Amino acid sequence: MFFRKAGISFTRYQDERRIWRLPADRWTVAVILALLIAAPFLIDRLYIISYLLPLIIWSMAAMGLNLLMGGAGQIHLGYGAVIGIGAYASVHAMRAGVPFELAMILGGVAAAAVGVIFGAAALRVKGLYLAMATLAMQYIVDFVIVQFPAISGGSQAALAVPRVSFLGIAVEGDNAPYYVALAICTVLTLFMLNVRRTSFGRALAAVREKDYAASIIGVDPFRYKLLAFWVSSFIGGMTGAVLAVCYYRTISPDQFHLDLSIQLVAMVIVGGLGSVLGVFLGVGLILFAPIVLNQLISWGADQFGLAIPIDLRAHLPLMLYGALIMGFLLIEPLGLAKIYNNIRNYFLVWPFRHARQ
Amino acid sequence: MSVQGKITGWPVNERGAPATLVAALAANAAQAGGKPGFREREYGIWREWTWVQVLDEVLALAAGFESIGLAPGHALTVVGDNRAAIYFAMLAANALRAYPSPVYPDVPVEEFRNFVRFGDPDIALAEDQEQVDKLLELRGRIGRPKTIVYDDPRGMAHYTDPGLVALTDIAARGRARLAAEPGLAADLVGRAGADDIAVLLYSSGTTGLAKGIPLRHSNITGGIANAEAGGYFRKGETLFAYLPTAWVGDFVFSLAAGVLLQAVINIPERAETALHDLREVAPTFYLAAPRAWDAMLTRIQVGMADSTPLKRRLFDWFIPRAIELERKRLKGHRPTALESAREWVGNLLIYAPLKDWLGLSRAERAFTGGEAMGEDTFLFFRALGIRLKQFYGQTETCALTAAQVEGHVRIDTVGRAMPGVEVRIDDNGEILIRSASVFHGYADNPEATAEALTPDRFLRTGDAGRLDANGDLVVLGRVSELVQTAQGERFIPTFIENRLKFSPYIRNVAVLGAGRDQLTAIVCIDYEATGHWAEQRALSYSSYAELSQKPEVIALITAEIARVNELQPEGLRIRRFVNLHKDFDADDGEITRTRKLRRKVIEQTYARLVDALYDGSRDVTFDAKITYEDGRQGTLSRNLSIREV
Repeated sequence: MFFRKAGISFTRYQDERRIWRLPADRWTVAVILALLIAAPFLIDRLYIISYLLPLIIWSMAAMGLNLLMGGAGQIHLGYGAVIGIGAYASVHAMRAGVPFELAMILGGVAAAAVGVIFGAAALRVKGLYLAMATLAMQYIVDFVIVQFPAISGGSQAALAVPRVSFLGIAVEGDNAPYYVALAICTVLTLFMLNVRRTSFGRALAAVREKDYAASIIGVDPFRYKLLAFWVSSFIGGMTGAVLAVCYYRTISPDQFHLDLSIQLVAMVIVGGLGSVLGVFLGVGLILFAPIVLNQLISWGADQFGLAIPIDLRAHLPLMLYGALIMGFLLIEPLGLAKIYNNIRNYFLVWPFRHARQ
Repeated sequence: MSVQGKITGWPVNERGAPATLVAALAANAAQAGGKPGFREREYGIWREWTWVQVLDEVLALAAGFESIGLAPGHALTVVGDNRAAIYFAMLAANALRAYPSPVYPDVPVEEFRNFVRFGDPDIALAEDQEQVDKLLELRGRIGRPKTIVYDDPRGMAHYTDPGLVALTDIAARGRARLAAEPGLAADLVGRAGADDIAVLLYSSGTTGLAKGIPLRHSNITGGIANAEAGGYFRKGETLFAYLPTAWVGDFVFSLAAGVLLQAVINIPERAETALHDLREVAPTFYLAAPRAWDAMLTRIQVGMADSTPLKRRLFDWFIPRAIELERKRLKGHRPTALESAREWVGNLLIYAPLKDWLGLSRAERAFTGGEAMGEDTFLFFRALGIRLKQFYGQTETCALTAAQVEGHVRIDTVGRAMPGVEVRIDDNGEILIRSASVFHGYADNPEATAEALTPDRFLRTGDAGRLDANGDLVVLGRVSELVQTAQGERFIPTFIENRLKFSPYIRNVAVLGAGRDQLTAIVCIDYEATGHWAEQRALSYSSYAELSQKPEVIALITAEIARVNELQPEGLRIRRFVNLHKDFDADDGEITRTRKLRRKVIEQTYARLVDALYDGSRDVTFDAKITYEDGRQGTLSRNLSIREV
């Protein structure tokens, strides 16, 4: 109904491979980007800080994890630790006077260097065993951070982020961190959208489908698994730096525990493995569903005067939240991205049932 | 080596416009050299030629064709589907004062000799190996064409027959000549004049052997100028060149109009992908035969029958109301606020997506012609917002005679004469036409020319017609086609047949009744649409013949005929019909290549069937003669049931 395809023709193959071929898709992207840019002028700062900013930063992290899980098919249960390494490495660098831009890359490199060591396990083990290996990473990194006061600043201590600027803009106040995170997230999103069109992305897909088969067609699984861990961990490390500077401002070890790792895995799976759009949908659902449910229930309880016991009132949202995730995955195991695609296809072939010629 | 900037002069006519197609090409290259002129889809993407590149290519081909002996005044046989290279070769022939003579690519070799009778065509251009094989066989029989040029080299590597040349070789030779002879390019542009023949076409041959119809540059430029003056063409259209190259419509509406009016001429990848490619092009001018519009409507109806409940309900709610509104609007009704609102919503939900799907969302000028169009199809597309109009013309007038103008569109007229066209109705009710686009006479056939052209250069069209109060032309049918029942009711079978063919389930039909006391019909079901209908009802069938005789299918066709009968006067209702075991086929001579019925052949072939339709029997055993593709003949006995309506 909204999609128009008449008159779209290409004189070169590279034009035909562009990311958004339909004007309707380009418009959607442009409108969403414009809304995100205008958001600080449209909505209250509370919503920016507590909703939009986490959505953007968690999406960056989930995109990095999705490259590994959806792109290369390698599970990772220690991604929170990867982010933690990036955060600590970059904060220490910034405290030593390194500018934010460089510290962010340093954080990425540190996370990639450590991540790739554990990723090397993926060359020998698969599936559940790899899950165990990455889980081990989570605990080892947690342990190291807490036990070395030089890193954590003591077991109970928190590490404050110094004042920094990004490309000449001081990252402080409410709006600057938001715009910095939005800019970095936009660049990362474009990278993720393009990566699957490159030989690197196709090689990862080959490894994901079957590493034996990949090596038979000339894709070296050793190299590409390591590369996948490297790139994914680098993104995780950078996200750690952004998380520290734009969101937490003060970091402590408990921010990067196993629950962050599990949360990110859930975001990727609920959103849809391998989908960039799915990441944003998955992050949105996992982050906001509990809040929305909580408010709905308190509103409902007040409105209809239901005497819900206080402990049930605390647990009911969590129960519904679990049911919601299971429900979505039952309806469409390929995630929210697939649900979006189904809806899009319904309108794409409008008013017919199928694409027909 | 490019001609860019080197050619600054070209022959012009009395209006100051380019006098020939080659001159127009040179003018385009000089005035809009960088703009795309031709686009051809190749392996999924569109290859573009700017006007300068087109002129380069055409001149190279012209120089090359001259070196292999294409002489002025001779025809170049062209056989193949729409290809940019073939259009370039046609224009190249024009530059040499020779002319292309396009032939339908599906003409079998036995009939082919009829299409090389005029203009001494010693050189032929074939699209691919299939056509080369045909031409080689033709040469074995009649010694002509001596030289066969082919466009697509696939499969040609091992041919050793003499006189086979690749079109790329011709172009290479021409380029070498152009490089060696500095004045040749300008010379080639200036050679042809307005009175030279631009193309040799053949009449459809509905009544006997096809006649050669040479159209001169003056006819074509004159006709296009008339059409432009009437607003039927604009400069800079986006055209879609998919019509059969041997039909006047393709040469005039795709090639000549494109070159004369600086359009972008888009050529589909293959005939089979034309519908898909149409959507990628979204032309601003679109011409299709009524049959093609019917087929489009059938595709929509089949698709909607299969759609999801919500979409189908929306379609079923909006479309009948839109058609009703369009019917009233054509009678001069102005839509009320409610109707306008409904149309706006309908456009958003249904019409615009359908137009987009068809690829006609930009088709400001959409035309149909060649035969009468079913009112339902006509109203359907107009209701979608495609301003479909009928035009009227014949090969002899470059198909540019009359066309409807917005505001005076009526289903029963074909519009008013274009500017510069004089229309007269003679005492027998025959339509006579005089215009710059009217040809100068049939090829080598003075008797036919004398019959067709009056001394004061009016063309006798052979169509019966009248002018209505607004000056719009109403075409009743062929003067020769008007027939009477035994009761003296006058009717034109084609008119009723077209109404029946609006049904998606009926692909072809022959209405009989001349000199009889009632009308009957021989129906050929539409295999695809009826097959789909049967599949949905779990009716199994293994062949066209079996499907056509299923009682359910016969009942379906009965209902369709009854629906049309309601619109017919009492004496002209179809009383009995039979479903034929096969579709009418041009290879069996039952229809022409342009898919017009050959009634005599049908009445002869199915004489037993016709008798049975009138003697009241319930069924008939019919021995069908079958010609296999390799030419062998066989007989099949079929039991066909006859049904009363």
